[in-house]
Amino acid sequence: MRRAVMLAALLAAPAAAQGQRLQWSDAVYVPGRWQGGRLLRLATTNPATDTLALVMRVDYFANPPRWRAEVRRSPDGTAFGEPEVIIGSGATAHVATPLGATPLEQHALARDSLVRAALAVLDAQGRRQGPASGRIVERASSGGVFRVAFRRTARTAQFSDDLLIVPGSAPGRRLIASGIRNVGDQRSASVVATAGARGVDQVQTPRGAVAVRPDTLAIARMESFSVGPARLEEFLRAGRLGPYGTRVQPEGGRP
Amino acid sequence: MRRTTAAAATLVVLATSFAVPGQAQIPGRLRRVLEGAGNVARTLLPISTSKEVEIGRGIAATIAGRYPVSTDTALTIYVNLVGLAVAGEAPRPDIDYRFAVLETPDVNAFAAPGGYIFITRGALDLIESEAELAAVLAHEVGHVNRRHVIEQIRRSDAMRAVRSETGLEGSQLDRVIGGGANVLFMGLSRTDEAEADSIGVELAYAAGYDPGGLAAFVSRLESHGAENRLLELRASHPAPQLRLETIQRVIRNRGFSGGETLADRLRNFVPRRGG
Repeated sequence: MRRAVMLAALLAAPAAAQGQRLQWSDAVYVPGRWQGGRLLRLATTNPATDTLALVMRVDYFANPPRWRAEVRRSPDGTAFGEPEVIIGSGATAHVATPLGATPLEQHALARDSLVRAALAVLDAQGRRQGPASGRIVERASSGGVFRVAFRRTARTAQFSDDLLIVPGSAPGRRLIASGIRNVGDQRSASVVATAGARGVDQVQTPRGAVAVRPDTLAIARMESFSVGPARLEEFLRAGRLGPYGTRVQPEGGRP
Repeated sequence: MRRTTAAAATLVVLATSFAVPGQAQIPGRLRRVLEGAGNVARTLLPISTSKEVEIGRGIAATIAGRYPVSTDTALTIYVNLVGLAVAGEAPRPDIDYRFAVLETPDVNAFAAPGGYIFITRGALDLIESEAELAAVLAHEVGHVNRRHVIEQIRRSDAMRAVRSETGLEGSQLDRVIGGGANVLFMGLSRTDEAEADSIGVELAYAAGYDPGGLAAFVSRLESHGAENRLLELRASHPAPQLRLETIQRVIRNRGFSGGETLADRLRNFVPRRGG
């Protein structure tokens, strides 16, 4: 009986801080441009400047007070590197590694101003601050533009709560490691087309069997093709789509 | 979930340990039970996102081998923008969606697992507005979201010899890719197509488009139904009338109305043929 009361108390405590389950991505730009793999930063007070350089993408998964942020840096403004995973509960955050977890304040990531800004998006209860979608401009104390984020929120948040487990227990550690590997593998630049060694295939079609030589180069071109979040944002704005839609939005911001 | 996996593992062990040497001595009924257990275990074999992308890349290469991918950069950018507008509403952040145009007069669209989506020049020629294009691409995004091809692969004979994902390499992977390409060209089930239509309407609407885009396109398919360029689409999809019923039911039940059609913007990138 006493155990049941304690369990009820434990379950009730986080419920007070619980909020909406959300999943969203921020494409983060800073004033500047990429040149030969180097970021040349510029100083500007104009948030509409067209000299913005894509520096990272942050994917967020939140079920307040718990949350997860996957930070992928861009080395050149087009591709993204392997993710750095930060998992938190309210204001407490850990950096997940395949071997376990390190408190954020003891990790080098805590000294990165862009990572700190990315995490400041969450309040002390693990809830998202700011709009659901659109352009978000953050300024430095000097008044200059510090960073510009283009945010997209998934219509429905469909992720496993296992993603929000801070490594520590063995099952949690395995899940984190597997999560890193899965996401990392698929975006790794070293990934090559698997069908490269394949010769002529015969495929079945409604017109009968057809001989096909798989074109892996076309797919490599398709993978390297990028329109960029800024262009997408402008496209949505011009078409009055997404966050710029004219349709009456129900509470929550999305139709 | 853990219990299901453990049970499946037990069934695999049972099935495999009895499978080869003693098979002749096992009574027919027990053998059928064990074979059934093996089949159940096989359908439970999960395919991770990274393997899904690997399989999808191979299937996409086969599609691109059959029809050349357009090198029209402006058109490719436009199709990607429309595609990303609807894919942004889809609940799979583990997938990077990519869109391309295939240079063929055949009217069709394909979604390989892992987010490789294609639309043919023939389909673009039939499309009259950006809302229609968005709905067609959203239909394809729906196939990826619901892993329709991957689920077909999991149930296929090609997976019979695969006991774990790590075994899905080399010639085994090639067989799976070939099977997946066949599924795409020959068509998915009516249930999968109906689900993709439903998701297509929802995603396009969520992105801000007129929800009637898919219905307009499917109606046009019906009016051009006898043409040779629609032969494969007709053979691989449910009849337009059936699709229209599903689409209109979704719009009615969800109370969808309003939204952008953007016919003029489409014409900036996809001029009328001969115009």
